[in-house]
Amino acid sequence: MFFKRSQPDHPASSATTSVTAAAPVASASVETVKARSATPLPLAELRRSADPAILGFKTTAELEPISGLIGQDRALKAIQFGTNIKAHDFNLFVLGASATGKRTAVKQYLAKIATTAPTPADWVYVNNFENPNRPRALMLPPGRARPFAKAMISAIDELRTTLPAMFEGDDYQARRRSIDEGFRAGQEQAFEALNRRAQEQNIAVLRTPQGFALAPMHEGKVVKPEIYNTLPETMRKEVEARIEALQKDLELILEKVPKSDKERRSRTTELNADVATHVVKAALDDIIADFADAPAVLAFLEAAEQDLVRNAGLFLASSGEESDVVKQPADSARDMRFRRYMLNVMVGNGEAEHGAPIHEEINPTFGNIAGRIEHIAQMGAVVTDFLLIRPGALHSANGGYLLVDVRKLLMSPYAWEALKRLLKAREIRIEPPSEMAGLMSTQTLDPEPIPLNVKVVLFGDRELYYLLSQNDPDFAGLFKVQADFDDSIVRSAENDQAYARLIASIVTAHNLKPADASAVARLIDEGARLADDREKLSIEIGRIADIVREADYWAGEAKHEVIRREDVARAIDEQIQRSDRLRDRAQEMITRDIVLLDVAGAKVGQINGLSVLQLGSFSFGKPARITARVRLGSGRVTDIEREVELGGPLHSKGVMILWSYLASIFAQDKPLAMGATLVFEQSYGGVDGDSASSTELYALLSALSDVPIKQSLAVTGSVNQLGQVQAIGGANHKIEGFFDICHARGLTGEQGVLIPKSNMQHLMLRDDVLEAVKAGKFVIYAVETINEGIEILTGVTAGERGPDGRFPPGTINALVEDRLRYFAERAQAFGATSGEGTISRREGS
Amino acid sequence: MIAHVAAAGEQRGRVVLRLTQEPAHPMALEAAMRMAQAFQSEVESVFVEDLQLFEWAAFPFACEISLTGRRRIMITPERLALDLQHTAAALQRRVGDLARLFEIPFHSTVIRDEPVNAIARACAEHGPWNVVVLAEPLAAAGTVMLRELFAAVSGATGILVVGPNARHTTGPVIAEVDDIDHLEPILRTAEKLLGTTTEERLILLLAGHSESETLEMEGQARLILREPPVATIARVVVRDGAPIELAERLRREGSGFVLARFGGLLAPDHGDLHHLVQSLECPLLLMR
Repeated sequence: MFFKRSQPDHPASSATTSVTAAAPVASASVETVKARSATPLPLAELRRSADPAILGFKTTAELEPISGLIGQDRALKAIQFGTNIKAHDFNLFVLGASATGKRTAVKQYLAKIATTAPTPADWVYVNNFENPNRPRALMLPPGRARPFAKAMISAIDELRTTLPAMFEGDDYQARRRSIDEGFRAGQEQAFEALNRRAQEQNIAVLRTPQGFALAPMHEGKVVKPEIYNTLPETMRKEVEARIEALQKDLELILEKVPKSDKERRSRTTELNADVATHVVKAALDDIIADFADAPAVLAFLEAAEQDLVRNAGLFLASSGEESDVVKQPADSARDMRFRRYMLNVMVGNGEAEHGAPIHEEINPTFGNIAGRIEHIAQMGAVVTDFLLIRPGALHSANGGYLLVDVRKLLMSPYAWEALKRLLKAREIRIEPPSEMAGLMSTQTLDPEPIPLNVKVVLFGDRELYYLLSQNDPDFAGLFKVQADFDDSIVRSAENDQAYARLIASIVTAHNLKPADASAVARLIDEGARLADDREKLSIEIGRIADIVREADYWAGEAKHEVIRREDVARAIDEQIQRSDRLRDRAQEMITRDIVLLDVAGAKVGQINGLSVLQLGSFSFGKPARITARVRLGSGRVTDIEREVELGGPLHSKGVMILWSYLASIFAQDKPLAMGATLVFEQSYGGVDGDSASSTELYALLSALSDVPIKQSLAVTGSVNQLGQVQAIGGANHKIEGFFDICHARGLTGEQGVLIPKSNMQHLMLRDDVLEAVKAGKFVIYAVETINEGIEILTGVTAGERGPDGRFPPGTINALVEDRLRYFAERAQAFGATSGEGTISRREGS
Repeated sequence: MIAHVAAAGEQRGRVVLRLTQEPAHPMALEAAMRMAQAFQSEVESVFVEDLQLFEWAAFPFACEISLTGRRRIMITPERLALDLQHTAAALQRRVGDLARLFEIPFHSTVIRDEPVNAIARACAEHGPWNVVVLAEPLAAAGTVMLRELFAAVSGATGILVVGPNARHTTGPVIAEVDDIDHLEPILRTAEKLLGTTTEERLILLLAGHSESETLEMEGQARLILREPPVATIARVVVRDGAPIELAERLRREGSGFVLARFGGLLAPDHGDLHHLVQSLECPLLLMR
């Protein structure tokens, strides 16, 4: 059965509070034991500010800019190891938060070592004259590919002039005519002989539309049939027999024509080859001499020479004989007829390029990584050839280093798979993505693979690294070196100096005004705030650089010669102001009592919790009311957030822990025969994390003890089963979030925040919070245990068990235990009445 | 006609292109078009259905041996007529296409007669100033046929022939003159033809049996030549084997058109023109 109880507001200031139980637990008022007054944290504990005076310089102009990174020794050693080890599977994964300078650091290091590394070979694709669908890859000494390509164009240009001249020359023409005439004369002689024989026999050889015919002749004319028919039959038969014999002779002559013609063509081809070989050899001689040290080139030139000789006719077509529609360009390199002799330079080092290449691929698509084969539309068909092979990043980086953003790589279809496949195969084999997908494709090429020797450096965040490690079996085998970039460094006098030099290098790099010592000190403070830890400094270089650049702008606006502290503060404030529309809206909802939140008075089972919202790079604290209700029950707590699936697993874990704490403290000699509900009031989104578990426990203790909690205080911190309050994240934002609400409603001096003691080292509070604390208008308490916290929140002693095992009367714990004993007794009584031994109905979890 | 028209500076005349069942040489067709272009005349293609073939086809044993020598086809006059009709249509279409390309007026007719008679009839029906172009390469016995043609076709002032090796109609125009009486008409015709070739060179080849003969012709030629002179004059004294010697010279020049008098030193009407024509890579215009 449930019981009702009134929950009047209690003045927080009252040291001793009268608690009236609505029914049967305590019908009479209970005197509570006033707690000792707690000591708020002194001002010095709330922020660790850098002292400009001890930085030792006036402005950053006096400092030497830092050349590398600070505090990334582990990552830099990993980079050094990963780039120097000569193993193909020791590629690097550089992980860390964005804007930590990891990409710059890698590039700087690589630039240093790449210059002394050997320059890799040049690569070209050339036509495979035996199998054009499989272009050949030729390796050349560095810097030789482009001269080779130019030399081939020059040779073809030369042949366009010399070959036609040679074939039009008297010598060739005479030899050609000699062949033609020889064969023609042979044929004609045979025909003439037949003709003569026929005429001798008065037979005419006639040309018909589709062949030849023989007819009786008289005086040079075909005999008319009516005259022929008047001849005696014996004579006619004789004539017809002669015709038949001559027809057979004619057939023999005609049958020999194709064979004879074939022989003529063969001799003409021999002649053409003889003439062309001489000219082609002369055109290629210089190239052969220049590339005598490259056997692959010589083999190609030999094949090209043979092909040029075979296809010398290509060079004889003059513009007048070419199609009017497709005019051939004068430039050999663009002439479709001569494409097969051109070179496709895949990797061509210039004269000025030395050392290993460093290639950063900013758009790592499949084609941009592995290279691609383009197609062109020709006469309605899509065709390709070796000149349409385009190099990818791996070609450019071969023999050096390839830098890729892993997120972009993973988002590009097939790119990641292609990269892994090529790294494993240790060769660049260009295949169209459609082949990887198993789809049909148009006519394409299968270029010879190019050996691959590259060190791949992937950049990504930790989440991606661990995801890949866990889910991709190839990943660990190929990326064996991780360079883990820290996002903060330990704060020390030495590192403060390094930080100042870092700021100096930002100033130099961006050509900004120098920053004075006060501005640097403020930036160091901000670095600690960004790290969310006063013992650390954030090394998110990008964010710090943004602040410095904006401060430079505001310094300019204010006509300052150097960047001052106030310029930095203005830059930070302006950054926040540009981003804090939602924070303003959230605070407005509270100040207008749309979202209910008390910052004064005291209430039973109600407490102010603190949460942090993150919007992009901007975070802010948002207070929230948490309430607890208790009743007779089966020993379970109902976490309403979880019931409606708004609570995450960590939040549920926190609730279970606090319930375990209650059970261990109060249910050693009796069942925990209570039911409780916990809720984040007016929370319409998800709740996760356990930072509110101590807060929820305080609310439960208040509800069980019926002792009100001061609403002027807000609480954060997680709790363990032993009642110890543990550190949480975002302590500064949480404190400042509650401070902003209190400030809006008017600071009373009673208002403040309870934080775990272990969070003291993280405190880097804003100036306005510090000023309020200094003026005694706001307090921060650091607590180690739940007992400490409940005493501050209620002003009542928590109480420890005495030798008799009982809590001192009037303490919070005693009141809680009394209430729980009452619940247990009622549960027992209820079971006896109803015939049930215990309450077994499950209420929540 | 060409010579007369050219000499008179008139822009009239007609090119009669003779087609037969024998394959037409592309250079002959192109030469016909260039001539018509030069003189702004029309082309009339006359396909001759040789009567002798019909007489042969009427024999019961008439059979055609295919060009490969591997097939015999029994022929009737009807079958022959159909074959000739198809051959004529194909040839006329080819000539028509070429005429359209050269933008030349074009007419076509089919005449069934003996070849020489057919051309004589065609030239007589449509008036004077004809030049006859023989589409098929000149055969071994071609000189006889040319003689017959010149004799029978009074309306023709020139006959254009090609050899089997003809391969271009571009290049210098070479006019061979061996008779002072024919100097002017041949020269004027050559000047007209000059505009149709890609080169603007005209070579006047004066051939004679003696130096004085050629010198006299040169003097006359220089009087006739317009200013500025477009022709290069060359003199050749020939004795035995004149046609061969001249032909070799013409070949070396890479001529686009050769003009000569039929019955002259280069193209004697009693000898065998076949060898001369075979050695030329361009058309030969034989003038009366």
